[in-house]
Amino acid sequence: MPLFVKARSFLRNVFLFRRVEVDLDQEVYSHLEMLVEENIRAGMSPKEAQRAARIELGGIQQVKEQVREERLGSWLQSVISDCRYGIRQLRKNAGATAIMVFTLALAIGAATAIFSVVYGVLLRPLPYRDSNRIMAVFEITSKGRPSRLADPNFDDFRDQSRSFQAIAKYDSFVVSVSGASQPTRTLVASVTPDFLKVFGIQPILGRDFSSSDAKKGAAPTVIVSDGYWRQYLGSSRDLSQSHLKIDNAVFSVIGVLPAGFRYPADVDLWLAADLEGENPSRTSHNYSAAGRLRDGVTVEQANQDISAIARRIHDTSSEQGDYLLKDGMVVPLQDSITGKARSPLLVLLGAVGFLLLVACANVANLLLAQASVRGRELAIRSALGAARPRLIRQFLTEAFLLSLIGGGLGVLGASWGLTGLVALAPESLPRLDSVSINIPVLVFAFLVSTAVAASLGAFTAARATSSDPRKGLVEGGRGQAGSQGGQRVGQAIVAAQVAITLALVVGAGLLGRSLMKVLEVNPGFRIDKVVTMDVSLPWVEDPKAKASQGIFFSNLIDRLKQLPGVRKVGAASVLPMVNGGLPDGMFLLMTQNEVPKTPDGFGPLMKQKERIGIADFCVASDGYFQVLGIPLIRGRIFDERDGANAPHVAVISESLARDRWPNQDPIGHTIEFGNMDGDLRLLTIVGIVGDIHEYGLDAPARPTVYVNLFQRPRSTMTVTMLSDADTGMVTSAARGILQELNPEIPAKFGTLSQLYSASLGSRRFNVILIGFFGITALLLATAGVFGVMAYSVSRRTREIGVRVALGAGYGDVLRMILSQGLRTVFIGVAIGIAGSLALTRTVESLLFGVTATDPLTFGGVTLLLVVAALLACYIPARRATKVDPLVALRYE
Amino acid sequence: MSSEPTTLLQGTLDLLILKSLVAGEMHGLGISRRIQQITGGTFVVKPGSLFPALHRMEDEGWISSFWGDSENNRRAKYYRLTKPGRKQLEAETKRWGRISWAIAQALEAT
Repeated sequence: MPLFVKARSFLRNVFLFRRVEVDLDQEVYSHLEMLVEENIRAGMSPKEAQRAARIELGGIQQVKEQVREERLGSWLQSVISDCRYGIRQLRKNAGATAIMVFTLALAIGAATAIFSVVYGVLLRPLPYRDSNRIMAVFEITSKGRPSRLADPNFDDFRDQSRSFQAIAKYDSFVVSVSGASQPTRTLVASVTPDFLKVFGIQPILGRDFSSSDAKKGAAPTVIVSDGYWRQYLGSSRDLSQSHLKIDNAVFSVIGVLPAGFRYPADVDLWLAADLEGENPSRTSHNYSAAGRLRDGVTVEQANQDISAIARRIHDTSSEQGDYLLKDGMVVPLQDSITGKARSPLLVLLGAVGFLLLVACANVANLLLAQASVRGRELAIRSALGAARPRLIRQFLTEAFLLSLIGGGLGVLGASWGLTGLVALAPESLPRLDSVSINIPVLVFAFLVSTAVAASLGAFTAARATSSDPRKGLVEGGRGQAGSQGGQRVGQAIVAAQVAITLALVVGAGLLGRSLMKVLEVNPGFRIDKVVTMDVSLPWVEDPKAKASQGIFFSNLIDRLKQLPGVRKVGAASVLPMVNGGLPDGMFLLMTQNEVPKTPDGFGPLMKQKERIGIADFCVASDGYFQVLGIPLIRGRIFDERDGANAPHVAVISESLARDRWPNQDPIGHTIEFGNMDGDLRLLTIVGIVGDIHEYGLDAPARPTVYVNLFQRPRSTMTVTMLSDADTGMVTSAARGILQELNPEIPAKFGTLSQLYSASLGSRRFNVILIGFFGITALLLATAGVFGVMAYSVSRRTREIGVRVALGAGYGDVLRMILSQGLRTVFIGVAIGIAGSLALTRTVESLLFGVTATDPLTFGGVTLLLVVAALLACYIPARRATKVDPLVALRYE
Repeated sequence: MSSEPTTLLQGTLDLLILKSLVAGEMHGLGISRRIQQITGGTFVVKPGSLFPALHRMEDEGWISSFWGDSENNRRAKYYRLTKPGRKQLEAETKRWGRISWAIAQALEAT
């Protein structure tokens, strides 16, 4: 019952507020009048009686305010009335409000958008059960870098470690798949049987791999993704009739995985790896590995476990050398996926944080200017019984209104701009599909808005209510004194704004200059007019089958050469700037007489330092050098002499020639590089070609050995065509030719300029975003300087009038105002430079060709900022010079 | 008993208001004077404390209010005790009894 009464009172107080107020008003007045009557009855004169009654009552408004605060629901009522009052205030200054809301919306929106990327890529847990228990397992190379695993090393990790419930290795590659509704080029993963157990995934249809699927001679099995099953297998629930042809083998489809599971990224088919057909070498790092920790095992314990096994392998293996592991480690899978994206994204988040600070500074300054105008209003309100906490709450309410409206608009803007942001993001950024405006992102936006509101509100409230309210009334709105303090705070804010902006623009400048330096790098090959065509034939081991694949590519190239507009055609195993790049390995210098009779004989030779060299290994045709315009420096490239049965030849890159054969002519030397393709025949070096930046413009060119496609055939190649014709036409004509030669092999087409552009994607992304933040901050800071100066001039009108009346000239006034503004700006610039020198270290890893303290960038940015600030000061200063002393003195 | 007005103890104002209304319905000034009278002038309740307390107690449902005519034919707001108010008075009285007894015990202890 009491609860019901309370609820009724609460509702009455909130919804019938006006009636309750009238009631209170009448009650207090009748009380007052009764007091007066009482006093008159006691013998006072009416005037005296009035006075005594008022003294006893103690201030009508104060009493009413005290009653209001005691009422049930008073907090809600006061929030509502604060909001109403706040909205009225904000509407009264509609222009300033619009600017403040827009500024906050821009900054909070940008911060929300960037956070949504940071959250989606770095923070959001991987979509697997207990995903923080899934670890990536690595070997550590002799150079201390993590690397993939060699088969016997993985076997030792699996068999000897005690840390994992399940551990699996996997490798992904593109193959041509036929047998489904149409042939496809598909990314497949070869995995060991425990792979799905590591991820805690079960097929939604069919069964998981069992250990017998991985035995030698077992029937080949494949598990398909939900998407592949729907698109190419007609969503058939009966899998017994589903078979896929991959690499000339027929795989039975045994299971379908739940929608959304695509690990490794973009894989559609998972094949059971043949465990008994393993590579016995401990230095061929062909597989990635992941494991799920046993319950109760910490990451640290797993690390020690793997490390101990790895070091034991290192100490006991017969295969000593640079390619043998030195150690091993585990890291959470999520970290290993997102590791490279981490620092650029955090830099972006930091940059947008700076933008937010600059935006807040602008809003703070606007609020401060308003608050000083409102001095009189505050004085009246506090005289009418508003306590200081009540006034502070009023300011907080207004700040909350501003920030929440700004934040709301910002989130709308962010959700609208996010599509563009994701489209702009480089392909190398992992997990972009998990980026969205979701609950954690909304919580972030809300928290940011709240923090902004709290700091803005507290700041203005503290500034506005700190002075004695009576002063406001006494000064009668002239607001001369007291504004000095406000001015100083305003200038401090502007200085901070300038400092932060400088740091941000310096960062943008350094990244921009790095991008320009990268673009200046000569890639070493032609970018325009090259159409690429990825072709994957079935993987074969038999030399005869391999030879026929060489003939296939030779035919394909000859046919393509006849296409109208196509000038040159070539092929290479991996194109420059493709993710992953070429495989690298160790080759041996030797003559025919020195070739050992058995494979074991290579072991001792690999320990002879003068024999070994390290290079990337590329299979290419003669046309490839012509299409890409890779210059021949000496000797010759492949030609008709180099048939399948002629002595095998190699062409090497300039940097390899320089590093491995300093002061010597490498041409005519023979090398053995059979560990790359299993062919032990010696290669005679016949030519030296120019270096190319195969790993991107910002990575150094790598020493490379090119072998001839027609002598060392390979199943997976990228055909390149130099063409003056329209790309679309060349593409469809080439597709037709491939179809005629083998209808089961689909191709993927592209252009070299796409690859080139993608290789710059991550730099471009950072430059565009940080540049945008920098420019926005610059505009905001300029507006901030302008605002504070304009306000100061309007406040000093009378003083300037007096000065002019006393004989100050145009130049004097201009100088006075400019110097006041520039002093603030210079303080900001000085702090900004000092701060930037410390901060740019954090972006050092993203720079190329410039140092983190690049004087040109620092100088240029400082100049830019000073010029912008000078302009912002000049307009108010000019206005100051136009002050008419007569008007100014009469003004008050 | 001193004739100097004493500041009210926390929580005693409610008790005094409830007690003063036992005699019948009364307006604010009447309640104030009644308290002054029944406490022998020890407590003088100022409107700044009285009205907030009255409104709070009305919100709690202990008293209810209506507009009526005063002894001088002036419209005034009257308050009367409700059923929950009587219960509250009982509870408050008991509580007060316990407190005063406890304080007396404490002061007598050596």
